Amino acid sequence: MPFPDVKLANRPLHFLYLCDCSGSMAASGKMQALNQAIRQSLPGMAAVARDNPEARVLVRAVRFADHAAWHIETPTPVDQLEWRDLHAGGITAMGEALKLVAAALQTPPMEVRALPPVLVLISDGQPTDDFAAGFEALLRVPWAQKAVRLAIALGHDADLEVLQRFIGTEPATAGRSPRRPLQASNATSLAQYIQWASTAVVGAASMPASRVSETPLEPAAGNIPLPDLPPTVLDLTDDVGPLVW
Amino acid sequence: MNWILPEGASLGFEGLAAPLQIIRGLGGGTQGQVYEVDLEGERLALKWYLPACIARDGALERRLEASIRATAPNEDFLWPIALLRASPASRPLIRLRQESFGYLMPLRPTAYVGACEHAAGRLAIGLRQVLRACFGLADAFHALHLAGLCYKDVSLGNLFLEPGSGGILICDNDNVAVDGADHGAVLGTPGFMAPEVLLGQARPGADSDLFSLAVLLFRLLTRHDPLKGQMELAIRCLDEPARRRLCGEDPVFIFDPLDDRNRPDPIEHAAALITWPIYPRPLQALFEQTFCRGMKQPSRRALTGQWKQELARTLDRRALCPACGQENFQASGAPALCWSCGAPLPEPITLLLPHGAVLAAPDNELHAHHFDALAGEDLRRPLARVVAHPQDHRRLGLRNLQATTWSAETHDGRVQPVQPGESCSLAALARIQSPAGPIAVQRPTRPSPAA
Ligand SMILES: Nc1ncnc2c1ncn2[C@@H]1O[C@H](COP(=O)(O)OP(=O)(O)O)[C@@H](O)[C@H]1O
Ligand SMILES: [Mg+2]
Repeated sequence: MPFPDVKLANRPLHFLYLCDCSGSMAASGKMQALNQAIRQSLPGMAAVARDNPEARVLVRAVRFADHAAWHIETPTPVDQLEWRDLHAGGITAMGEALKLVAAALQTPPMEVRALPPVLVLISDGQPTDDFAAGFEALLRVPWAQKAVRLAIALGHDADLEVLQRFIGTEPATAGRSPRRPLQASNATSLAQYIQWASTAVVGAASMPASRVSETPLEPAAGNIPLPDLPPTVLDLTDDVGPLVW
Repeated sequence: MNWILPEGASLGFEGLAAPLQIIRGLGGGTQGQVYEVDLEGERLALKWYLPACIARDGALERRLEASIRATAPNEDFLWPIALLRASPASRPLIRLRQESFGYLMPLRPTAYVGACEHAAGRLAIGLRQVLRACFGLADAFHALHLAGLCYKDVSLGNLFLEPGSGGILICDNDNVAVDGADHGAVLGTPGFMAPEVLLGQARPGADSDLFSLAVLLFRLLTRHDPLKGQMELAIRCLDEPARRRLCGEDPVFIFDPLDDRNRPDPIEHAAALITWPIYPRPLQALFEQTFCRGMKQPSRRALTGQWKQELARTLDRRALCPACGQENFQASGAPALCWSCGAPLPEPITLLLPHGAVLAAPDNELHAHHFDALAGEDLRRPLARVVAHPQDHRRLGLRNLQATTWSAETHDGRVQPVQPGESCSLAALARIQSPAGPIAVQRPTRPSPAA
């Protein structure tokens, strides 16, 4: 006879992409690279979601150029997610994007109980609107304070200072260097970072992984110990020369 | 996935006479990547470590070598077979700048699936199989602890189940060490870690294994977490500091008889409330022992031998509800109602053995430990199995799984041989003489309500 048909208690894990779609993203195939990187990461993300039954992984995305708008507005289970291409054009309303996310992280619409949300900000340039106002609005929301915030800088023109403010300035803890924005200088590293954020980080936020004595048991600032970054796997065979920004 | 080892390639390793063919990558975790490999026609698994993991865990290589020498405590462990370093000729094919190593282990057969599939409710599995898996776990840790070793990282992620039989396999054996010797970096997985380890007051060892084992058994048996009750509902954001409070600073078992602060919520934690009453009192008592007194006193936790005994006894008490067919585990003597449909359960036929009693329900088995007080509980080699008659499922028989003929005695004193592989109807029998010992058939004293 079957085991009783009981449902495991779970909590939502909101995962939000904030994607820079400014005109500069059209250069050297950056926009296509980002679309590809996210699309390619979805099966792995779905697998992690399956392996973590305590979490209900729900994905949303915001695009920002002249204005910020929802690209995926409904929190969508990963296995039902279809990534429509983002298109580049306009300036960089990053502050507005943060306000949009701030509103979405209010309770309601946010659930009363959840896992820490994961926010991934991807940008190749400087905000053209009031970043500070948007960021303040975001940090007034408790769920945003609790969120795991990651930033990926695309190419060399990204505003690292702004991205660093977004992820927070965590002091260097024993054995760990302070967190920095991830710098993707080509399509391969972008894909690796997106994969890391959507799998390893989602895993860490939804169900704890094995701890080693070196990971501080009490996380200093962030409330989720971040997993190691992917190792630099050398491309020995198919070095087709990825796009370099 | 970015594979470190080239799929399809043949690589040479130091100390291996033949090259290994890397068939395909199976998965990657926080420590490394696992590959299916072929060694002279034999399929094995190879775990290859990330340099960051080796750097963090200075004793890893020494520990693995000790485990390889010690060999597996029993066959349920995917135990390291050999430590591998690439030969100079193969080193350039490994896509890492720093040097690294790995180990060979048996490959998990595809019928075994990750235990989280059961936790998520996606696995077709019965209560008997879940209890057998729990017994297998207790048995495996019993063998490990008796060998003086500890595992340190018990979690759902390191267990595989075969839903048809309830067979188990335990992977990630690279943290195993001599208990108390403390080489190793791993502390465990939050949610499974003993409170004293989570709080940094103790290093993981056999006592903390007992806590983690109990959590894993509880999660398999109830599909719920032993510490997630009202106190979890009070937490809005379940992050690390919150988990530390819930599982380390103020851990309260959801069914603690003396502390009701963390009772399950009827809606959010329905799984625990539905499944817990299925299990007999003595089994529940072992959880209480571990999660109440044993929460703060590691030496008070239920031992692997106690788990083995109670889980085996629970399987012996298995009976099927005549109304809905669901599996019940009846307390001896007392009349009971089916946990699933509420129908009264008839008093069953009981097989009385020199050491224990087994209810007559299809698939219940007799083992050597039922006859020999010195034999430890072992479910691997059944001596007899209760079977339903192929034409009339309500008629139960006992199948002789031994190599020697039994002699079965009916109520009117007739004696009949039961050849190996044959079954004898329990309705007519008073007792059976088997080479292992006598089996007395006890019929219900009151008529069954279903009849
Ligand atoms: N012996 C094995 N046979 C088949 N698959 C395995 C074996 N050992 C591990 N795996 C798989 O490889 C993946 C990573 O393994 P694991 O050792 O748990 O990595 P980590 O400890 O780094 O998390 C998992 O998906 C696991 O199921
Ligand atoms: Mg693992």
